[in-house]
This record gives sequence, C-alpha cells and structure tokens, in this order.
Amino acid sequence: MATVDVKNLRKRYDDFVALDGVSIAARSGELVTLLGPSGCGKSTTLRCLAGFLEPDGGEIELDGQSILATPSNRRGFGVVFQNYALFPHMTVAENIGYGLKLRKCSADEIKTRVHDVMSLVKLTGLEHRMPREISGGQQQRVALARALVLKPKLLLLDEPLANLDARLRDEVRWLIRDLQQQSGITAFYVTHDQSEAMAISDMVAVMKKGRVAQFASPREIYQKPVERYVADFTGEANFLSCRPLRALGEGRMRVRVGGAELDVECVPSLKPDDAAELLLRPESLALAGSGEAATFRGKIVKSAFLGASQHCEIALADGGVLKLTTPPNTPVRIGEDVGITVDRSHAWLMPEVAA
Amino acid sequence: MIKSRHLRLLLGVPAVALIFVFMILPITNMVEMSFRVPGAVDPFGDDYTLMHYARVFGDGFYWNVLVRSLLTAAGVAILCLIVSFPIAWHLSKASGMKAALLYALIASPLMTGVLVRNFGWMIVTALNGPLNESLIALGIISQPLRLLFTQTLVILALVHVFVPFMVLPINNALRNIPDNLVEASVSMGASRYRVFRDIILPLSFPGIQPGLILVYVLAVAAYVTPALLGGQMVTYMPTLIIAELTGTFRWPLGSALAIMLSLSTILVVGVFTALTWRLMERARA
Repeated sequence: MATVDVKNLRKRYDDFVALDGVSIAARSGELVTLLGPSGCGKSTTLRCLAGFLEPDGGEIELDGQSILATPSNRRGFGVVFQNYALFPHMTVAENIGYGLKLRKCSADEIKTRVHDVMSLVKLTGLEHRMPREISGGQQQRVALARALVLKPKLLLLDEPLANLDARLRDEVRWLIRDLQQQSGITAFYVTHDQSEAMAISDMVAVMKKGRVAQFASPREIYQKPVERYVADFTGEANFLSCRPLRALGEGRMRVRVGGAELDVECVPSLKPDDAAELLLRPESLALAGSGEAATFRGKIVKSAFLGASQHCEIALADGGVLKLTTPPNTPVRIGEDVGITVDRSHAWLMPEVAA
Repeated sequence: MIKSRHLRLLLGVPAVALIFVFMILPITNMVEMSFRVPGAVDPFGDDYTLMHYARVFGDGFYWNVLVRSLLTAAGVAILCLIVSFPIAWHLSKASGMKAALLYALIASPLMTGVLVRNFGWMIVTALNGPLNESLIALGIISQPLRLLFTQTLVILALVHVFVPFMVLPINNALRNIPDNLVEASVSMGASRYRVFRDIILPLSFPGIQPGLILVYVLAVAAYVTPALLGGQMVTYMPTLIIAELTGTFRWPLGSALAIMLSLSTILVVGVFTALTWRLMERARA
C-alpha cells in the first residue's frame, strides 16, 4: 500500500529535546512498533506522522513524497488513540460513518460500509448504542473500525491497548494484527510493552531519549541488541562484564568472563580492546546436571516457584549474579553450590555503553 | 440508619426556612393580592375579583410591553452567547496565571455595583459624553449619536453585565472536551469548520443551554439597567410593574402583571428546554 520514510526528525520544546534525529522506515504493509519508556519520543514521532505536531526539522515521506506540508485532515491516515477518542454524542454507527460523511458518501454507501467494517471487528448489533453504553474493548474496536472504514494509507496506533485489562488486551492485539495483515495497511504502533511489541511487529524501533537506539526485527532486537538499554527493555536479561581476548573473524570473539573462556557472537563493530558486556537471557542458562561440564559455578541465593517454571538467582564467585529459569520441579536449595551451563548460540556480546 | 437520615434532613432546614419565608410566602401573598379589588385608601380592598387579569390580558398595551420584554431578553441572551463563546474558548485553553487573569477580567462587570455601572454607561454615552466627543474629534461622525435612553443601549449594557453567566458554564463544557476528539475528527478529514460544527458545538451545549436560560431569566427580570438607561422612552415589564407598585399604588394590578411575566418566562424556558432536550441528552457523556 504505502512506504514511509522518516528521516532525521527533530522536535524540541523549550529546553527539552523530544526528538533528536529519528529515522525509521516502513515498507509497504509492514507494522512498525515504536517501543520505549514514557518521554522517549515515541508518541511525539507518531503525532508528527499524524500531522498533529510539526517537527522542527527532518523529513517524512510517503511513497517518496514529502507530506510535511499536507495538513492532518488531508493526509488520509487512520489514528487510534489510547483513550479511544470516540465522539460521545454520536452512536457507534455514526462514529464509524463520520469520516465517510465528511467525504460526502451517499447514505446507502455509508450504511453498507459501516455494516461491513462492524462485522469485521465483531461489533454487529451495537450500531445504535452510545459509546458510554459499551465496554472498553468494544470502544477500542469502534475506534479501530472508524479508522479502517476510510481505507487509510497509513494506520497510526497510539498505545491502543493501554487502557484494557490483560485478557482483552490479548484479544484486541490479535484483532489489530489480523486486520492489518488482511488489509495490507502499513502501520505504526506505539507501545511501552515489550511483549506486545514482539508479538505484533514486523519491525521494532527501540527508542531512547528522542533517538532510535535500534531498529530491527523483533528477533534481532531480542537476541542481538546493540546495547544494554535495548536488551533491558526487551525482556529479562543477565549482564556480565567481561574482557574480550581476541577477535575470531567476523562478529565472533573469545572473551574471559566469570572465570571461564567463551567463544561468542558479538556486535560486529566491537573491537577486542573495548569494554564489553555479555548478555545471557535467563532461558539460555540451565543448572548443570551431575557429570555435565558447567561453565559457571555459584551459590543459589534466591528462588521462587512461578507455576509453569521456577526462578533462581545465583551469585557467582566473582560477584556477578545470574537469573535463570528452571523446570518447576527441579529441587533447589538456597545456599547450594551449583554449576550453570550456557547455550552459547544465545550468548551475545555488546559494547559497554554508559546509560 | 434512620437517625442519620433524620440528621441529613435536618441539614436542609435552614435553606428550606429561608426559601419559605422569603420566596414561598411573598409569592403566595402576591398571588392572593392579584385577586383583590382596588382599595379606596389602602393599596387594596377586602373583596376578590378577576378584573386585574381581565385588564392585563385584554389590553394590547400590556401585551406589547410583555412581548418587548421577552424579545429583548432573548436578544440579550443570543448576543451574549455570540460574544461569550470565543471568550469561553480562550479561557478553556488557558492555564495558570493567564487563566486567573482571564477569570478576573470576565468577572469584572459583576465587581462594580449596579448603580455605579449604569451611571458609568450614562456618562460615557451622553450626548456630550466622552464617546460622542471622541468620535466627533476623530471625524467618524459629525452629529452626536443618540445612544442614551435607547433600546440598543439597554441591550448593550445587559449583554455586558451578563457575559460572565454565559462564559463560565460554556468554559466548563469546553474544558470537558478531550483534545483527542478534535485530533480524531481532523485525522478523519474534518476541516476546522466541521470540527467546530460537528464536535465542539454539540459537546459545548451542556454549557450553552444553562447559559442561555440563566441570561434570559436575568434579562427578563432586569430593572435598574432598563430604568436608568432606557429612560421614559422604553418600557419593559419590570419598570412597568414597579411603576404600578410604587407610583400609582395599584398593588393588585402590579401583582397581576408580575404573575403574567413570571408565567410567560417559565413557559418560554420550558419550551426551550423541551426543544433542546435531545441535544442535551446526546451531549451528556
């Protein structure tokens, strides 16, 4: 449908820099998530795309054409808000049909198109209800239908699930992904929830203080983050500071860490002299069974039974602490000496960057 | 439970007593008085009659004054709305010191006593007053404008003093409209005009309706401003009623006129409320 190029976008408020050179690209039909904590610039970026905000510098192109001079009401983008932003004085059907009415569609056409999109988002039968008379999940589906019915060139979603409870969140999330895939609409999705971002996106831009820290696929963001900030924001992580010994060809390095020497994959730009940190996700670690060669040794300092799994924290001899998950019925005793095995294909070496 | 309920009812006693003594009793008294025969020496006699109502409803003069009063009040209310909406809009977007300053400025007409304010208007608009003199000095007019003792000036002065009663409820309603709604409608293709017509105006109606009713009722009952600025040339119901009560001492006739004014005002407000019921229901989010 449409490709989007955001180039070096800048925006400042008095002495606060909201966007400090944001560049993101979306290929046609992709869902791109802007992920980050509040104040990182993800919503500001989305509002610039929507035309609610004018950036101080940079460029936004839709199919290669700049849209910065196009006012918001001529961009033809669908926007879905965190608080739904339904018109409280209009019925569900009037809310969904409002954009069509503005486009001077005939009453018959409005009726059929509203009816079609309502069955798509499973709202049939609620046409004449007022927004205040339906549930939060239904309200967000109305907001989605209202945006989709106009066949927008671009769909912009600003934390659309943040006000929903956990069960509904899952349901609406899949609905959004399914509809976006079916219609092939390019979409930008803002969230601070990493699991939401992972599950729904083709590409994720992890944002940090008005900049894009990393822009890559969810898999790459999780397994090969460029810095500790990204790794931290995308899930549970252990970091061990270590000393690189020597490069082993493209993107591999031998390091000395926690009393062991490991050959691991690393950020390609990393040089042997740089200070580095080893990322070990909890699921790539396991307690060593008897007779298994352990990479690290340490003492169990904490454990918690979580139902489907068990959470352990192990203090290493050199002061580092590793969090890992074990099967639920593995016997663990606090204070016990254990060995830890590492799935080396999931270890990842990153440069140490000051946060 | 029962005890606390009684206690709660007890809290209402002062208000009820106040309304009973100063509103229910006088109104009952006035209704009764309107049916009394005129007195020879006292303001009214002992017997009852319908003659005052027959006179009030039968005489075209009274109908004329009543209609002029009601229409003028309606005009004041509508002009007030037109003047107040942009002010309310700015106020609703302001915060901090700016909002405090705007609130003070908006309330300023109420901070001056009614007599001082009206004498001010008289001085400013007199034939040889500063307004006429400056306009002549600037060469905009050659003859002084006759503003004082006209209906125009009465309307102008009433609009001036009633603006706060319109601005404040509309400001409240506007503040309750989330910015997102405007953004949502814009993203769907709405122009500035359509945003105003389809979103802002209907959702501010819960402020517009009480504002219109409040200003209308106040304008119908206004006495000092029409009496001072309208002079002898323009008669409204309140001036006429006071003239009957204090000038000619025909208390029963004055009471009948007052009741005629009250009933017609209630009727107008009732019809207006009924006509705008649906609009209100929809906007009550």
